[in-house]
Amino acid sequence: MKRPQAPLDVLIVEDEALLVMDIEDMISDAGHNVVSDGASLYDVEALPDDLDPDLAFVDLQLARGTSGLDVCRLIRTRWPKTFVVFVTANPKKIPEDFCGAHGVIPKPFSRNGLLSAMRYIEEGVCDPPPTSPAPASFVASPAFAASWA
Amino acid sequence: MRERDDWHLTDDIQHEAGPGDPFAAAVRATRMPMVITNPSLPDNPIVFCNEAFQQLTGYSREEIVGRNCRFLQGPDTDPTAVCQIRQAIEGGQDIAIELLNYRKDGSTFWNALYLSPVRNDRGDIDFFFASQLDVTDRVNENSAMARQKAEVEREVERRTADLQAALEAKTMLLHEVDHRVKNNLTMIGSLLRLQARTIKEPDTAAKLQAMLERVDALATVHRRLYQSNDITHFDLGAFAENLLSDVLGASGRDDLALETDIEAVEIPSSAAAPMGLVLNELLTNAIKHAYSNGRQGKLTVKVKRKSDDVIVRVQDDGPGLPDGQAPSGGLGTAVVERLAKQLHATVTWADARPGTLATVVARIDAL
Repeated sequence: MKRPQAPLDVLIVEDEALLVMDIEDMISDAGHNVVSDGASLYDVEALPDDLDPDLAFVDLQLARGTSGLDVCRLIRTRWPKTFVVFVTANPKKIPEDFCGAHGVIPKPFSRNGLLSAMRYIEEGVCDPPPTSPAPASFVASPAFAASWA
Repeated sequence: MRERDDWHLTDDIQHEAGPGDPFAAAVRATRMPMVITNPSLPDNPIVFCNEAFQQLTGYSREEIVGRNCRFLQGPDTDPTAVCQIRQAIEGGQDIAIELLNYRKDGSTFWNALYLSPVRNDRGDIDFFFASQLDVTDRVNENSAMARQKAEVEREVERRTADLQAALEAKTMLLHEVDHRVKNNLTMIGSLLRLQARTIKEPDTAAKLQAMLERVDALATVHRRLYQSNDITHFDLGAFAENLLSDVLGASGRDDLALETDIEAVEIPSSAAAPMGLVLNELLTNAIKHAYSNGRQGKLTVKVKRKSDDVIVRVQDDGPGLPDGQAPSGGLGTAVVERLAKQLHATVTWADARPGTLATVVARIDAL
């Protein structure tokens, strides 16, 4: 399997514009590229097929009454190799199987929390298993964590 | 003679049949309704009924004598009870049973029937003797009680459902508020970070950074609170570990040596935010002042419980406090002292030679 290499192409799905701005900045600071963003399931449906991001940060509660869980399913179908990480204030609403997603960053996050999560995810995606200590700001899905064992 | 053997007395009394028979007189005059039937006649008809039986049923003697007892039954009489009576008669057995009977006027009464065979010297059944007691009041009372009990149960069920619904509404509201607090804290953090990026002047940038760290500390408190299963308590030790890695990570000082002695200490969740802010100030203060300009060193953090107290110690090995006085001037120190007062905690700064040792002691049950 060919693994993605840094810098990673990142998609942000989040309905709060200011949070998108802030996350974009931090992802850029970490040395990665934000290739697109969307506020709802419809926005993600409208993205071109060849976008094919390496990583997607997905909020659970999205604009126009849509759900991040559906966005995750759509991403997993359209771009099966994309890693999906939920960024949510409601981690308890994520089902046990994470809908095929790879982990969660609970809100509210700090700059350091997001950056260390980003570093850990990068290691887990590009060169597993991650060598940094697991940050408190990121919880890997059971399936993703098991893939490193 | 024992009381319970009294009724055998009648077996020993010799008497004549006819108007002078004291037993016949007693049966005629008693207030207990009674009948006698003769099973050797076709359909086991009633051959005698007393005055009380006529009063109970509303029929005259002429209407009663010669008929089988089943004329007292009606549409709501329980067929199972009737069947039991028939079986007792066929088997020559006693039976005591309650059944619904009908008067001449169509009204009903609950009849506590006692029926027994009367045998002759040879042991053959000559007659059946039956007494009836109107127990309508008792049966009604029982069914009224059952009805009341069912009503109370229904009411309890309804109230329980109401309470359950109220609890669910409250839980939903709590989740909604919690969700909004988290989103707003996230938003405040984002706004501060976005602003911080635009500020080039180092002093202002540092102040904004300190604000951002305070908001982050509050966010960490809130995140730990909602992720724990017990929202009434807060593990200060686990929070300290979490905050320490956040503060160190944010400072970019992964070159500092760290010595921790941190155990789980549960404090009331109402004290979580002020305690969290105090700890944040002590940690950021130590890193800023003791290890400025890239100075290396060791940071020691303790969170322990000692009997009724929680003790927090943050010690650096920086320049220390030559006069043993609290570091002065900054908002950080003022925040620590005010919040400590609010928490009924004592905070002391000491020159630790080398470095500064800050100690916070609070009685857990006073928090």
